[in-house]
Amino acid sequence: MKLAIETIGLTKRYGSLTAVSKLNLKVEKNTIHGFLGPNGAGKTTTIKVLVGLLKPDEGTFKVLGQEVHGDMPDVRLRMGYMPELPKFPKHLRGWELLDIYGRMYGMTKQERVEQIPKLLDMVGLKGREKDFVGKYSKGMQQRLGIAQALLNEPELVILDEPSLGLDPVGMVEVRELIKEIAKEGRTVFLSSHLLFEVEQICSHVAIINRGELLISDSIQNVSNKLSKPSTMQVEVAKPSNKVVEAVKKLSFVSEVTQDGNKLIIELKTHDDVRAQISQEITKAGEVIVSMSLKEQTLEEVFMQLVTKSQGGRAE
Amino acid sequence: MRKRELSWKTRFWAVVRYELLWNIRKKKFLGVIVVAFALATLSLALPVLLSNMIGQSLSQNPNYVVSTGAGIGGLGMFLFAIVIVMNSISGEFESGTIVPLLTKPVSRTMVFLGKLFAALITLLSAYAVLFIYMAVGGTIVYGLQNNLHLLPLSLFGTILSTFLWIAVVLAIGALSKSSLIAALGTFGIFIALTISSPIISIFSDQAWILNYVPGGGTTGYIAGVKPQTPYVPGIAISTGTDNIAANLINYALYPSSNVTFFKMSALIGQSQQLIELYTESLSIVLLRSIAVALAYIFGFLLISWYAFKRAQMLE
Ligand SMILES: Nc1ncnc2c1ncn2[C@@H]1O[C@H](COP(=O)(O)OP(=O)(O)O)[C@@H](O)[C@H]1O
Ligand SMILES: [Mg+2]
Repeated sequence: MKLAIETIGLTKRYGSLTAVSKLNLKVEKNTIHGFLGPNGAGKTTTIKVLVGLLKPDEGTFKVLGQEVHGDMPDVRLRMGYMPELPKFPKHLRGWELLDIYGRMYGMTKQERVEQIPKLLDMVGLKGREKDFVGKYSKGMQQRLGIAQALLNEPELVILDEPSLGLDPVGMVEVRELIKEIAKEGRTVFLSSHLLFEVEQICSHVAIINRGELLISDSIQNVSNKLSKPSTMQVEVAKPSNKVVEAVKKLSFVSEVTQDGNKLIIELKTHDDVRAQISQEITKAGEVIVSMSLKEQTLEEVFMQLVTKSQGGRAE
Repeated sequence: MRKRELSWKTRFWAVVRYELLWNIRKKKFLGVIVVAFALATLSLALPVLLSNMIGQSLSQNPNYVVSTGAGIGGLGMFLFAIVIVMNSISGEFESGTIVPLLTKPVSRTMVFLGKLFAALITLLSAYAVLFIYMAVGGTIVYGLQNNLHLLPLSLFGTILSTFLWIAVVLAIGALSKSSLIAALGTFGIFIALTISSPIISIFSDQAWILNYVPGGGTTGYIAGVKPQTPYVPGIAISTGTDNIAANLINYALYPSSNVTFFKMSALIGQSQQLIELYTESLSIVLLRSIAVALAYIFGFLLISWYAFKRAQMLE
């Protein structure tokens, strides 16, 4: 497994406040990895350490296989970064800014001439590139932020809340853009406080709260691992012990209770087992009136995780 | 992914370019240039107007340009320093634009050196144009000029003197991350020295101490050369770091002369007497002021560089 980002025991404090605590994060190459957590969770702090804007108090980290300590421009050559609500020099024109940044990446004139209009078009700033950045709206600066993060065709793109401050249409566009970026074999690591955003874009997610990493895995595994066993309610015409016993014997059923005409069946699996259950009940001579499956959404998993980690701490 | 070989030159020039575009578009900088040219024009035109008014023709002075230089005094140098570098480090912290800059593949040392070099180029161009303007104007007003070939020496001295103030502004800016504190702090130092220096210089036995602080230094005269004022028997000399340009010219014109230091016995009045203190060769006076200026420049730049290199991006 090749890692684009790996942190080991990463800790960052602001005075007495521990913003990031013993973070062990692994981001696999060629994934879109979401960094999810409520406001103040420590996402921006972690990212600032990763890009060299802050020095960690404890721990080490590797970016693209290279251990980073101090000021390492050569690592930054291979990555792109968009700060949370980025600010660019007002007195430069959009294209000038990208041109100068491009020079810092060592891009030749030809590369710049090819790449910059392509990026401006991609982020929807075409036609406004001759305006001074000082005249750009927040959303336009945000788009410029994405463009400058992609300038050097980076292997790793780190985006800190890329859709923050955008209007709904802009948000959708940016999400599409991120999926597009990842298609070219890059790793994207993006922070967000919006679960549905991560769910929509990302293949993997790391959830952080109060500086602590709660879980990091593929989206699928996270919802499987964390959701409570699904339960199924089956309403039958005339419930009997025979039916209850029969259903209990199924290997993927952990518990069956009876509530009036309803059988409440707790499952050990997240697979769709409605067919097997209805078959079993029918075999036992019962008639099924209705059947419903209740599964936990990722939203509930997230809320549950965050609440649990908050409750677990003395304040 | 493209693999790039990055030479330090590419990155360095990119930073210089970034900085220069900023400098030449600064409103403050343009304002100071306009004021400087207005003052230069005034200083050339006023004597002409006055002599016309009293009906006398202005006497020719073949040494006007070389003895005046561009006429940029202590205050002028201080102002140029302020407008050129007041924002160059602290301003980027304040606006947040330092974040995208420092996450490009340029080291902080490179960014620092690039900013410094851009300040030098900006200053050099502004001063060079002023010098040429004064040389042409002086020739028109005072007739053909002697020793114009010494002007580059004067330009060099003026830049060295100004760089002392640039280093002070940068150091306070890098430490405080505030442009306002950088400007006000430097202004405070400038004012304190400007007010105290002449008083100490004229009335104290211990005026030598002024040779080791930035500013106008102490005062003496070169005996035997035709005096400009009736108060001192020779051409007046100031020995401070602000006077390197003037003393370079003096040295070129009177290489083996001595400087006599004096103090005044009382405030301006009847019983006022000039008391000779000691004598030094002009070359010593000049070398010392250059060494002191370089020491301050080096020291303050080292502080700025160190503060900049260690700064964490908290905003
Ligand atoms: N410059 C700072 N000084 C002091 N505390 C800070 C600073 N920046 C962030 N914090 C605190 O650190 C914690 C994590 O913040 P941050 O990393 O910005 O979270 P997120 O990006 O997940 O919203 C928060 O409690 C925040 O108040
Ligand atoms: Mg944040």
